[in-house]
Amino acid sequence: MSEQQEISLSILKKRWLKFKTLKRGYYSFIIIISLYVLSWFLPVLINNRALVVSYEGELYFPVFSGYYAGSTFDQDVPGEAVYRQLDAKWEAEDSDNWLLLPPYPYSPYEDITVTGNKMFDAPSRTHWLGTDNTGRDVFARLCYAFNISISFALILSSLNYLIGILIGGSMGYFGGKFDLFFQRVIEIWSSLPMLFVIIIISSIIRPSFFLLIFIYTIVNWIGMTYLMRAEFYREKSKDYVAAALSMGQTNFKVMFKHILPNAMVPIITFFPFAVVGGITALVSLDYLGFGMPPPTPSWGQMLDVGLSNIPKWWMVFAPVSAQFVTLIMVVFIGEAVREAFDPKVYSRLR
Amino acid sequence: MSNNKLVDVKNLSVHFPVHGGVFSKRVATVKAVDGISFSIGKKQIVGMVGESGCGKTTVGRAMINILRHVSPDVEIGGSIEYHFDDEIVDFAKLSSGEMRKYRSRVQMIFQDPYASLNPRMTVAQIISEPLQLHTKMNAQEQRERVGWLLDKVGLQPEQARRFPHEFSGGQRQRIGIARALATNPDLIICDEPVSALDVSIQAQVINLMMDLQEEFNVSYLFIAHDLSVVEHISDKIAVMYLGDMAEFGNAHDVYHHPRHPYSKALLSAVPLPDPSRKNRDRIVLKGDVPTPLNKPSGCAFRTRCPVAEPSCAESKPVFEQQVKDHFVACPIVKGA
Ligand SMILES: Nc1ncnc2c1ncn2[C@@H]1O[C@H](COP(=O)(O)OP(=O)(O)O)[C@@H](O)[C@H]1O
Ligand code: SF4
Ligand SMILES: [Mg+2]
Repeated sequence: MSEQQEISLSILKKRWLKFKTLKRGYYSFIIIISLYVLSWFLPVLINNRALVVSYEGELYFPVFSGYYAGSTFDQDVPGEAVYRQLDAKWEAEDSDNWLLLPPYPYSPYEDITVTGNKMFDAPSRTHWLGTDNTGRDVFARLCYAFNISISFALILSSLNYLIGILIGGSMGYFGGKFDLFFQRVIEIWSSLPMLFVIIIISSIIRPSFFLLIFIYTIVNWIGMTYLMRAEFYREKSKDYVAAALSMGQTNFKVMFKHILPNAMVPIITFFPFAVVGGITALVSLDYLGFGMPPPTPSWGQMLDVGLSNIPKWWMVFAPVSAQFVTLIMVVFIGEAVREAFDPKVYSRLR
Repeated sequence: MSNNKLVDVKNLSVHFPVHGGVFSKRVATVKAVDGISFSIGKKQIVGMVGESGCGKTTVGRAMINILRHVSPDVEIGGSIEYHFDDEIVDFAKLSSGEMRKYRSRVQMIFQDPYASLNPRMTVAQIISEPLQLHTKMNAQEQRERVGWLLDKVGLQPEQARRFPHEFSGGQRQRIGIARALATNPDLIICDEPVSALDVSIQAQVINLMMDLQEEFNVSYLFIAHDLSVVEHISDKIAVMYLGDMAEFGNAHDVYHHPRHPYSKALLSAVPLPDPSRKNRDRIVLKGDVPTPLNKPSGCAFRTRCPVAEPSCAESKPVFEQQVKDHFVACPIVKGA
């Protein structure tokens, strides 16, 4: 290969290539990302509402348009139509009406009030992971909870990062009084007993997804802020920053175009672990009963009811293994990222 | 002669307050630069020498007004008056906002060729940044200009797409030179540009810098800790000691007829290629350089000066013209 043909790679690209060679972390990354993307399509994959209903020549799309009473399709049930039974009935009658169910036709919210559902149903071909104490399908709840857990952790970590980079970056970059002021704020803040604060807040206000994110951000912004403060403080005294300033670059550009890309190592290597923290935080709050409002599917709540019905093993087994597998995969990703970013390989002394 | 001046530094002082204790009270002051005066003419090269820690870098950074950035509470006194073609401005009095329009006029080449290039940017991005800030060139013109500049500093234009970590120290320093030249500055502050490089390539880089100085009609403040680097290339030489200017004059005069005891000691340590001057005695300085936190009273050099007298402790020596165009801060050698 001649000198010219050789491609010039940025350090970030080299690290990505290195990450790809670390199979365990790379495959975990692919799996988690695919599952998460897939989980956004859960309403068409796991749902008790039919995708399409063709009834007396007319088409209905219950998944997208919502509630249809059983009477719409001449079904004798209280409230909403039960599409599974409708399907079986039309099949048996060999009627011209037909419907298309999602691949797994149970919803995470549908309990014993729906005809045909039973409490504590053991795992079977219809209910892969059985049903819980109110007759809801455990597998459906598990999958929806996965989406909520990961979304929660991702939004929480990103928000913490945003605040950390803005406040911590400015503290490190500008220093002086601004830095001193926020240092004192952080000291006072970190001395507050945060778990109690959260429990108090959520016992006053009914928690929701975004309220929980807000509360956790209020607690968690400090970690990233300190990390970014240190990064920006170290980088700003390097000569490439002096060079940028001496050619008249603005502080904003220096901070975000010059320093931030050089502060990416802790940002990226820490991210998987921040996600782990976010997932566990939500699980513990849900478990304690201060998390997402019922009937939101959540691993913590599932664990809670599972533990109080311990002979029904599937109710404990399901949330525990889902959490275990998810967390361990995220940790594998974190490990691989850390190895790919190991400064020893690309240090300037190499 | 005076209308040929580019920059006139008068009584420049740079003090860094040191804070400590619970309330971050000021506990001491680092007098990194303590009232120095010198000047640089248009298209002139001024060599500045002095031991490590004597304040050379601080002078350079004060002259491009970027000290406040790392140390917001730094105290800068005196004046740094630039005589640009169209106006006279004192950089010591400008805020960073007011500085912006003059940034293209003075540039710096840094000592550490590794830290001075952003590792996340390609060479093209590094060199075109000043072009984006100070010219109206479009992307294509910028690309051409970057290629032209790389060629000027002895690199291949095709290397523009590479990242700094793919270059050697000497090549990186050439990239830094290209960046400094990009804005067509009047003055480039060269802060020990070769001291981090292999001895074998130091001469190449210095020769390149000399050629470029001619071609771009730029002035240099060439900082070095070693007189031998500076002697051949400078029009004038400034010798600093512990934040003070010991001696400033034409390169030939300072090099061949040093007056200040410190300059004499520095020169006696320079290996001489000229056998006729072999007989000059080597003056070995005793002791260590005191810290700028706690400078000796009177003449800062008196703790190590071989010809010190009791009066040297009393007052700071006046920095004055002792011979034509030759300024010295030592009353003891004045009559000699
Ligand atoms: N930002 C700063 N804050 C406090 N002290 C400083 C700062 N920059 C430099 N100094 C001190 O000023 C003195 C001169 O430093 P410097 O200008 O780097 O010297 P030189 O370049 O001649 O080696 C040193 O004692 C150094 O510790
Ligand atoms: S003033 Fe005194 S101590 Fe200072 S250089 Fe002259 S002789 Fe030495
Ligand atoms: Mg220096």
